[in-house]
Amino acid sequence: MSATSTPASGLVRSRATGALAPLLGAMLLGVVVLFGVGFSGISVAHNAAHDVRHANNFPCH
Amino acid sequence: MLFRRVIVCALLVGLCAGLIHSAVQRLQVVPIIAAAEVFESALEASPPSHDHAAHDHGDGAWEPQAGFERTAWTVAANVLASIGFALLLVPALAAWDRTRRDGGGASIATGLLWGAAGWVCFHVWPALGLPPELPGEASAPLGARQAWWALAVACAAAGLSLLCLVRAPWRLAGLVLLALPFVIGAPHLDGAPFAAFNAEAAAQMAALKQRFLVATAIASAVHWLALGALSGAAVRRWLRPLLLDASPGGAVGGGTRP
Repeated sequence: MSATSTPASGLVRSRATGALAPLLGAMLLGVVVLFGVGFSGISVAHNAAHDVRHANNFPCH
Repeated sequence: MLFRRVIVCALLVGLCAGLIHSAVQRLQVVPIIAAAEVFESALEASPPSHDHAAHDHGDGAWEPQAGFERTAWTVAANVLASIGFALLLVPALAAWDRTRRDGGGASIATGLLWGAAGWVCFHVWPALGLPPELPGEASAPLGARQAWWALAVACAAAGLSLLCLVRAPWRLAGLVLLALPFVIGAPHLDGAPFAAFNAEAAAQMAALKQRFLVATAIASAVHWLALGALSGAAVRRWLRPLLLDASPGGAVGGGTRP
């Protein structure tokens, strides 16, 4: 059965994928935030989050 | 609408869990870091004998003053990291909840299980190859350790997901993924991690390291269980109604479950 064979199934598909994009987008944002806190090589970011990097087992120094 | 609500949920969950983590960390992790830095400072004050022992904070770069300022930045960075973890956990839990229309989806209880899985992925798996480091400890090049850390976390997350969420026989491929980081092997130095210190200081640093491994594991476990429980409650209370509207079943039924 084709997922786009009827207008109704097309509606179902668009609603299902419609929920996936915001969830994946939020996860991508999470990766960016974690990179900034734990991996960023900028000295100021490293110094501000120094104890957090050690305590959270992010590789440091 | 859904994206905005996921972000708000992650901010709230991350703030609460980050503050809990900061409190636990302040009690039993930070004192060990401070003790190690006493040895590290003494080492830096003496003539350099080992290239890797130099604790590089960036020459002349700003760093928080000891005391309130450093604590405040640590709490802020903890909360930010916690929000980052929540931005991964909340959407994952929400996506799983959508598949559990027969009941038994997101709740505080199932959130605790997801939190435990997060602890295994983000703390236990990388720590098995690269144990948490003390300031002043010599280790392999930073880039190699960061790459292996990311590999360990990704493999643990993918491997556990396959084993726990997939019903087909190929779920066993998750075992291969779980083993992969250790087959490749974590980057390590050939020498001892505290070789730059004199014998007495090295012995004390080694003892601190043992305490540090336990303290960080406990603090991280508390953090992840808080993240999981709060995420489970947030998904159930605030995201499920939206997700029901967006799901195939919701196109007909809609509404919220009790």
